[in-house]
Amino acid sequence: MARRSIAIYGKGGIGKSTTTQNTVAALAEAGKKIMVVGCDPKADSTRLLLGGLAQKTVLDTLRDEGGDEVDLNEILRPGYGNVQCTESGGPEPGVGCAGRGIITSINLLEQLGAYDQELDYVFYDVLGDVVCGGFAMPIREGKAKEIYIVCSGEMMAMYAANNISKGVVKFAQAGGVRLGGIICNSRKVDNEQEMIEEFAKRLGTQMIHFVPRNNDVQRAEINRKTVIEWNPACEQADEYRALARAIDNNQKFVVPTPLPMDDLEKLLIDFGLVDGVAPGTEVVA
Amino acid sequence: MSSQPRPSKSPRPNWVSTRNPCKACAPLGAALVMRGIEGALPFLHGSQGCATYMRRYLISHFREPMDIATSGFSEATTIFGGEKNLCQGLDNVTSQYHPALIGIATTCLTETIGEDMHGMLHQYRARPGEADDPLLVHVSTPAYSGTHIDGFNDAVRAVVEQLAEAGHAPSAYLENFVNVFPGLVSSEDLRFLKEVCADFALPATLFPDYSETLDGPSMEIYKKIPEGGTSLAALRATPSAKASIELGRTLRQKRTAASFLQERFSVPAKRIGLPIGINESDSFFAALEKLSGHKTPEKYTRERGRLVDAYVDGHKYLFGKRALIIGDEDMVVGLTSFLAETGVLPVLCASGGKSGAFARSIAEVTTHLREPAMVREGVDFMTIAEELALKDLKPDFVIGSSKAAKLARTLGVPLIRLGFPIHDRIGGQRILHLGYRGAQQLFDLVVNTLLEVKQDSNSIGYSYL
Repeated sequence: MARRSIAIYGKGGIGKSTTTQNTVAALAEAGKKIMVVGCDPKADSTRLLLGGLAQKTVLDTLRDEGGDEVDLNEILRPGYGNVQCTESGGPEPGVGCAGRGIITSINLLEQLGAYDQELDYVFYDVLGDVVCGGFAMPIREGKAKEIYIVCSGEMMAMYAANNISKGVVKFAQAGGVRLGGIICNSRKVDNEQEMIEEFAKRLGTQMIHFVPRNNDVQRAEINRKTVIEWNPACEQADEYRALARAIDNNQKFVVPTPLPMDDLEKLLIDFGLVDGVAPGTEVVA
Repeated sequence: MSSQPRPSKSPRPNWVSTRNPCKACAPLGAALVMRGIEGALPFLHGSQGCATYMRRYLISHFREPMDIATSGFSEATTIFGGEKNLCQGLDNVTSQYHPALIGIATTCLTETIGEDMHGMLHQYRARPGEADDPLLVHVSTPAYSGTHIDGFNDAVRAVVEQLAEAGHAPSAYLENFVNVFPGLVSSEDLRFLKEVCADFALPATLFPDYSETLDGPSMEIYKKIPEGGTSLAALRATPSAKASIELGRTLRQKRTAASFLQERFSVPAKRIGLPIGINESDSFFAALEKLSGHKTPEKYTRERGRLVDAYVDGHKYLFGKRALIIGDEDMVVGLTSFLAETGVLPVLCASGGKSGAFARSIAEVTTHLREPAMVREGVDFMTIAEELALKDLKPDFVIGSSKAAKLARTLGVPLIRLGFPIHDRIGGQRILHLGYRGAQQLFDLVVNTLLEVKQDSNSIGYSYL
């Protein structure tokens, strides 16, 4: 099977890293060879797979050794299910240029041969918003070909997903990147599943899976583990397995059709959020 | 609004990229200003190429050594921030050059990644056990939002802002001196301004002053930092001046050193156009008369008289000739004022600068023209060429920096090299543009250039013209 490169985007705090790692763990459990590239300066995208934070990030080596004498083994560590884990890392908050860090880091990984190994999947876990060119690096120049957006029924999460779709359109024109679907990471909003299904449809894509809210995810995280590893028999583990299967079998890759703001707001109203409007407020439907 | 994304075919852009720019970058102007401070060394916070390019550019104009230090950004510095490089660079410059002041300008890279210059320099100054540090001043110079002129003027203001101390007048000056902020002019122009102030018995702090640092005599022993430049004592004392004179009609209202001194220290600011030609020089000399309380020395009134005589003598050669004038905004305004006095028709006045005051300034100095000159600001040479062809302007000659050489060659008309930079001739730093004396030299140059064309293009070898 040809290698698939996948980038996961979504609003900050929506659960990208947790969803990615649990899905990757399920794919690894099914025998897939995978590399995860964390593209967040906080370097916490592989914590659950490694059972702790990565010891050394790609950019740490650049800072310490100038990038010339770096050994791939220092920055690429096997985690759960032999998933190859690496973190870009980056500057401390408020200093330097994290976006350039992502670009340098991916280039360095390529130079060092991280992509030469036999792999079924490469996953890029990218910081919340695509704030500048650096954070779009994983979907430029034909790197990641598939994008999944993690979203919930909360307005700002959907707003972010819509914005990310605009970015995908831009890069889809120049390169081959396509949207593979919306992963709904439930926040227990009213009519959440139906609304995200409709939202996905309007975007021209699909809700690839609805991940229900379950405190087992939290419990596993405290133990620095994915639920797949922490308790393979729990219900939530099956949810991630289902998501992993859906991604593995996915055939629907589209250039999305982002919604105008008015349509997005109307969607929220149509799906019952109108109840939450303060008395006396005129609702424009 | 439609829910469909924009069509995939790329639409025709509503902008055009710069082609053959008619400007240089902001830190270059700042580096030039830092070179005009006594004992100072310019320092660019950014990649090494910026410093190399600016040194090359300035050396080719001034034909003098021009050291510019750099924090030499690498890939890692870009990602993690340049504080370590900055501190190391300042240490190195201090130990190698022993400067009295290091003038730090940012570059596009460090501006874009948002380097906290203020914070880093504060930390550097506060480190223990370093009492003998040079003074550190810094200016923000993102080249993508300005030109070398913006960088120049912003650096002048930044230095004055950061050094000015109230009640610090050096005894030699007493309380009778003025600040003169000339803008980007030649080394010869700076020497001229000092001479004029001295002849009016008017003590003056001229800033910047690279008249010696960038056009000094040959030295037996090479000095890493050449002699000359505005002294730090004079710069500290700028708030004690009785007035500031700043030259340039297109200076940005609130962003100049003179406006800072007026707002903060109530030093009256007098803004005059760059004194090129008779009208603008008259305003300048009138201001000096008022500030000094002395009449214009006879030396200058005689220069003015000779200039008027020359205007009369040469009028038949210049009347109705069509000029294209390109360069820094204030230089173009001054040259346009001068040319319009002589009977030349300025057909297009163009600049890469975009102060917003260019068109108004040109209009102010050409009120007597029946046919107003076309004015284009913020343009590149390609746009100028297109404009000329479109409007069929047919200039007889071009006045501009050596960057206009290619355009003049295409047009088949002579280029009179004035202003900055002049890279394909020697002596750009020694051209006198200012005052009646400068106008006299410009006038002779313009007339003789046109006579040469006339003589050369005629099959009969006239020796009387």
